[in-house]
Amino acid sequence: MKTILRARNVQKVYGSKGNQYKALADINFDIKEGEFIGIMGPSGAGKSTLLNILSTIDTPTSGEIMIADQNIVTMKEEQLSDFRRNNLGFIFQDYNLLDTLTVKENILLPLALSKVPAKEIENRVEKIADTFGIQGILDKYPYHISGGQKQRTAASRAMVTKPSLILADEPTGALDSKSAIDLLESLTALNEQNLSTIMMVTHDAFAASFCKRILFIKDGGIYAEIHKLQQSRQEFFQKILDVLASLGGGH
Amino acid sequence: MTLFSIARKNIRKNFTNYFLYVGSMIFSIVIYFTFVSLKYDQTILETADSSTKISSVFNGASVVLMIFVAVFIWYSNSFFTMKRKKEVGLYSLLGVRKKQIGRMLFYENFLMGIIALLIGIILGSLLSKFFVTILMKVMGFDALGNFAISPQAIVNTIIVFTIMTAITSIHGYRLIYRFKLIELFKAEQEGEKEPKASVITALISVLLVGAGYWLALQNMLESEVWRKIGYLITPLVILVTVILGTYLLFSTLTVYLLKLLRKNKTHFWNGINLISTSQLLYRIKGNARTLTIIAVLSATTLTAVGAAYSFYYNNRSNAELANPNSMMFIAKDKNVSNQIKERISRDKDHKIIYHMSVPTMMMDADITNLHSKFYSDEMEYSIISNKTFNQLAKSQNREESLSLKGNEAAALEAGYSKDFSPKYVGGTISLKANNHSENITFKELKKYNVLNLQTAGITVVISDELFSKLANGINLVNMEAYKLKNEEDAKIVTKEVQTLLPEEASYSSFYADYARGMETTGLLIFIGGFLGLVFLAATGSIIYFKQLTEATMDKDRYVILYKIGVNKKEVKKSISKQILFIFALPLLAGIAHSIVALTALSKLMQTNLMTPVIICIGIYVCIYIAYYFLTVRNYYKIIIK
Repeated sequence: MKTILRARNVQKVYGSKGNQYKALADINFDIKEGEFIGIMGPSGAGKSTLLNILSTIDTPTSGEIMIADQNIVTMKEEQLSDFRRNNLGFIFQDYNLLDTLTVKENILLPLALSKVPAKEIENRVEKIADTFGIQGILDKYPYHISGGQKQRTAASRAMVTKPSLILADEPTGALDSKSAIDLLESLTALNEQNLSTIMMVTHDAFAASFCKRILFIKDGGIYAEIHKLQQSRQEFFQKILDVLASLGGGH
Repeated sequence: MTLFSIARKNIRKNFTNYFLYVGSMIFSIVIYFTFVSLKYDQTILETADSSTKISSVFNGASVVLMIFVAVFIWYSNSFFTMKRKKEVGLYSLLGVRKKQIGRMLFYENFLMGIIALLIGIILGSLLSKFFVTILMKVMGFDALGNFAISPQAIVNTIIVFTIMTAITSIHGYRLIYRFKLIELFKAEQEGEKEPKASVITALISVLLVGAGYWLALQNMLESEVWRKIGYLITPLVILVTVILGTYLLFSTLTVYLLKLLRKNKTHFWNGINLISTSQLLYRIKGNARTLTIIAVLSATTLTAVGAAYSFYYNNRSNAELANPNSMMFIAKDKNVSNQIKERISRDKDHKIIYHMSVPTMMMDADITNLHSKFYSDEMEYSIISNKTFNQLAKSQNREESLSLKGNEAAALEAGYSKDFSPKYVGGTISLKANNHSENITFKELKKYNVLNLQTAGITVVISDELFSKLANGINLVNMEAYKLKNEEDAKIVTKEVQTLLPEEASYSSFYADYARGMETTGLLIFIGGFLGLVFLAATGSIIYFKQLTEATMDKDRYVILYKIGVNKKEVKKSISKQILFIFALPLLAGIAHSIVALTALSKLMQTNLMTPVIICIGIYVCIYIAYYFLTVRNYYKIIIK
């Protein structure tokens, strides 16, 4: 399996001399193609910082990060936006859909930005809408659809460019349990069938139990790592809860 | 901590937020104060001979200005309170009583009003001196050094703006009572629905504007429609149809066109177009009213300034048309004529270019056969001979000569108008000589005269033989005509010659007409320019405010775009496109409206307004473009931050 992401000695320090705060101490990990990896940890552990750095919207103080064989730490502003557009897909807790665009237009936005021909766009949108079961609402505007539909739209937008890595930030945070399960199942399906690589940051042990591997972060460093392997989701869920208990409160 | 000190602290801490509001208030006050102090200034009232006329023009203009300033302050006030709804909601949530919040907003607003008033009056005092100098220059007077700020102007400004501040402060006080808490928090995120556009309304908008234009461009005097609707109501009809049409145009036709654009997938699904087009579509309905106001304001400004400037611009040619000779009078007394000649020759600055004594007959004529609707059946004409005309025309550098024979004649009417004047060519009139009449037939018409209008009126040229035949029986009069160098500043000599002449001499001079014209048109253009500048600044600021409010609201959207990989260059491109659309629409509509209005005006006045109007529009567009770039820059700054 190809390595999609390689993080080495990643550090992030806030503040100036004398009053420094280490958000990330020394992070090392890899993500292989086709993985569905979860990041968990208590509030303030550094999850968001890590995600922001991997999203290229923040830069590490030191260390090296390779995504799809490109070093994102040394890239310039312009290169970074192109990189984000071509290699990364984002799913946010608050959906981040543009309310000026219809569902369909929201999904095709990244393709339009990359100047993909209209016909090709049409095909790809149709396919991804199928996967997430949102064909019926393509012409609606975001304020007319439910939270679950919004998140599936956002996921479609993240996946439609076939990015090397999909970054999901608490995607189920604002959803009811039924919508959350629907979304997680769709993500799992895409992960298994299309070998999409997904990294999901979450608080929710239940959501995390859909992942294949989970990294636990505490005080800016990796605290534990567990694999699902052949366990059932129930067993994995239990295991996650155990680790969280040992991590201590805060979430 | 008292409420008053909280209010004071509020202002001090968020001064940048308050700056725009206070700034626009100061701007209004400076403008108003300057204008009022001009109105009350003794030097202006004394210098201008026609002081009643000037003061009434000033009065009218200051009322217009007052209304406008009130609207403008109201607009910026609601813009300002809208931005603060959330803050007010927070106070309420934290348990501050409604009454206290209301009082705080009241104090705060009042305090700002008073500060703005003070600064405005101080700035205004400095600036009004500058404006007076400009006014005097434009009106052709010498700049006056002893302009003083009148206490009346200060009192007037203080009264007007204290009332306005009190009203906006009460409005602020009522804010907390007018909205529910939840509404205050959601003030900035009301979801605007996707606008609907019907083909029918789009068509109606085009039809309305078209109908207004068509009506405006009709020949007022001949048009059936104008007569049927009524001469007083038609302009009103034009105004209403055009304004309504413009509004519908902005609210519907643009939506319709944008939607068409959206259907074109290859264009729409192409990079940043997707964002700018949908963004425009989303906002257009809410903007339609603002855009209409701006289009109408632009049109008014351009028309007023264009017309005023045209008068100013045409003043010299009008004075020249009426006075082809620098001075002219009917010479009855040889002594007086010699005296005048001697006086004029003495003037070294205004050397005589030519001096002629023009033998003229003043004759009544029966003009029934000309079938004129506007002239009476009997007219008095000044009659000159063919020879005299050719001499004068040559001296006046006209490359035209006449060769009339027998009973042929030529009419010289400087104020000729196709609508009012009779049809001369081919027409026959009969000149009343002592005891018989002589029929003459017009062979030619010249739309100028070689004699001054005020002395000679409409002039008829007849053949030399007829002239000598008639001259036998009638007393010839001599008209003295002088052409001087630098006639436009021949003030003293013009006045002195006047004192030498009796009323019956029908004295006319280029200088008197020119100076009178400069006085009134100078004032017109000054007021027009002043109001135009104010309107321009205001329209620009209205769009600017509106766009920046939207920028704050749209910020999140650009954050999303940034995250999914839109780079800054593309964002800037999208913003520029979007704002260009918003700026260009009302400007184009305004220019179109004003061109139609000015075309109608130029038809009515029979003058060519092309050059002055183009100059006005050019200047307007330039300033407007500067506003555009300023808006784009600051919009972008808000988004990127």
